[in-house]
Amino acid sequence: MASTAETIPPPAPEERERLTRIQIDRSCRQTVVWYYASAVFWLLAGSALALIASIKMHSPEFLADQEWLTFGRARPAHLAAMIYGWGSMAGVGTLLWLQARLTRTRLPFPTLLPATAVIWNLTVAFGMIAILAGYSTSIEWIEIPPATAVLFGFCIAVIIAASVRMFRQRESKHTYVSQWYLFGAIFWFPLLYVSAQIFLHTPAAAGAVKAAANWWFAHNVLGLWFTPIGLATVYYLIPKVIGRPVHSYHLSLLGFWTLAIFYNWAGTHHLIGGPLPAWLITVGIVGSMMMFVPVVTVAVNHHLTMVGHFHYLKHSPTLRFVVYGAMCYTAVSFQGSLQSLRSVNEVSHFTHYTIAHAHLGVYAFFTMVMFGAIYYVAPRLLNAEWHSAGWIRAHFWSTAVGMAVYWLGLTWAGWEQGRMMNDPRVPFLDIVKFTVPWLWSRSAAGVLMTIGHLSFAWLFWNILRQRGAYLPGPTLLVRKGEPAGAAAGGGE
Amino acid sequence: MAAFYIALWGLAALLGATAVGALVWAIRRGEFEQLREASMSIFDDEEPVGEVTDRFPRN
Repeated sequence: MASTAETIPPPAPEERERLTRIQIDRSCRQTVVWYYASAVFWLLAGSALALIASIKMHSPEFLADQEWLTFGRARPAHLAAMIYGWGSMAGVGTLLWLQARLTRTRLPFPTLLPATAVIWNLTVAFGMIAILAGYSTSIEWIEIPPATAVLFGFCIAVIIAASVRMFRQRESKHTYVSQWYLFGAIFWFPLLYVSAQIFLHTPAAAGAVKAAANWWFAHNVLGLWFTPIGLATVYYLIPKVIGRPVHSYHLSLLGFWTLAIFYNWAGTHHLIGGPLPAWLITVGIVGSMMMFVPVVTVAVNHHLTMVGHFHYLKHSPTLRFVVYGAMCYTAVSFQGSLQSLRSVNEVSHFTHYTIAHAHLGVYAFFTMVMFGAIYYVAPRLLNAEWHSAGWIRAHFWSTAVGMAVYWLGLTWAGWEQGRMMNDPRVPFLDIVKFTVPWLWSRSAAGVLMTIGHLSFAWLFWNILRQRGAYLPGPTLLVRKGEPAGAAAGGGE
Repeated sequence: MAAFYIALWGLAALLGATAVGALVWAIRRGEFEQLREASMSIFDDEEPVGEVTDRFPRN
């Protein structure tokens, strides 16, 4: 270091900042690329299982002689691949990179953190094999065997240590709103996971009480793990891409702290009408209605930040995915709060409506935001540009349209299904027959989304091999002085 | 049964308490005193406000 300082003149302040950012991004390379590449692998595996499960819903003879691919195994394996494989690994990668950027420090533990990615993969693989072999715990969202908790726990402990270390050594004087969300995610998830494992596997938790613990956990994984990571990403990437600070920083903080205080109470709304004490469910409904506060603040804030800048959607792949995700966050949250009302729930519960809602949250919001994040982060880590704008567009349109078809078909089918089930004069088989065309529409939507995932995997494979144009710096997608969005291939 | 529900409710309360605790900690540290600066902290001289940092690749 000393000899370098002697021979090279000290860089100008501006140059120094850029060097720091290059160093920060490079310090993330190995870890984050491992997490992202693994996430893309699980995305493909999860898509294949999703298609199998979806096709079986309207054509039950499909692969019916394969014991390990029966619906009861393929569907939870799909969920595990998407939640613990794709979603969590893309989320952890983004969380680590964001924290390095926000604290302006390098990512620590250059061998330990990539090792956690390997352990995480082995854990997910073990869980998936266990589910497909028939050893599911049959508790939704936590089907993988409890033994895996130790391994996930180790990975999370290392990630917490890295987060705390970066925060303590931070060069930035201020704590940005995304940092609050990320801390929320990283500290609440282990608390949830460990408590759920203890509660679900003690003899005290049997029967209906197990369901209460189950849904408290499952709902919070979405609300206190995926949602904060997704929103942290949105709060960083929208301002960063369009070059404009968040419209109201006050609102952004209000949004975070109200989410932190209200969300955790909402989970028991999944059990409306179930054999549980009414007060327990009412607490869940109140919590769900209170969620209107953070959701409205986030929606208003993101909209006002974007106002006057919507034309950038044409030119920035990241912004497209992230804004699509942010809009769906508003939609899914409104829908979720309304669904928790007893009068709505008596129709929507136990129908395909709920499945559409779940995908609006995990896919249209979280997954689309993660796609946007990877489009932004990967070129900066690998010093290479994405090799083809056409494939990115194919990815966006097939997933965006696929998701819309998925949601519209199942929401409509589910609502009608619920109304018919509440009418004792309608024979059950008629209801089943009514849903079949809509189940086909789900499979068609699934094919579209899978085409998008394959395009994305192809792009990711090529950027890993650095097939795109070489990028000398971390943020030179638009050079200084060049008009924004003047990209030759940027139009749509 | 009832004890279990209360335990679960207590756990939710504990989780809520961590959020309230963090909020009190943040207020005491003065995290909410310089909001404008905090909102600008993701920008710097090299990537200032007004600079667009993402677009489609050229090919």
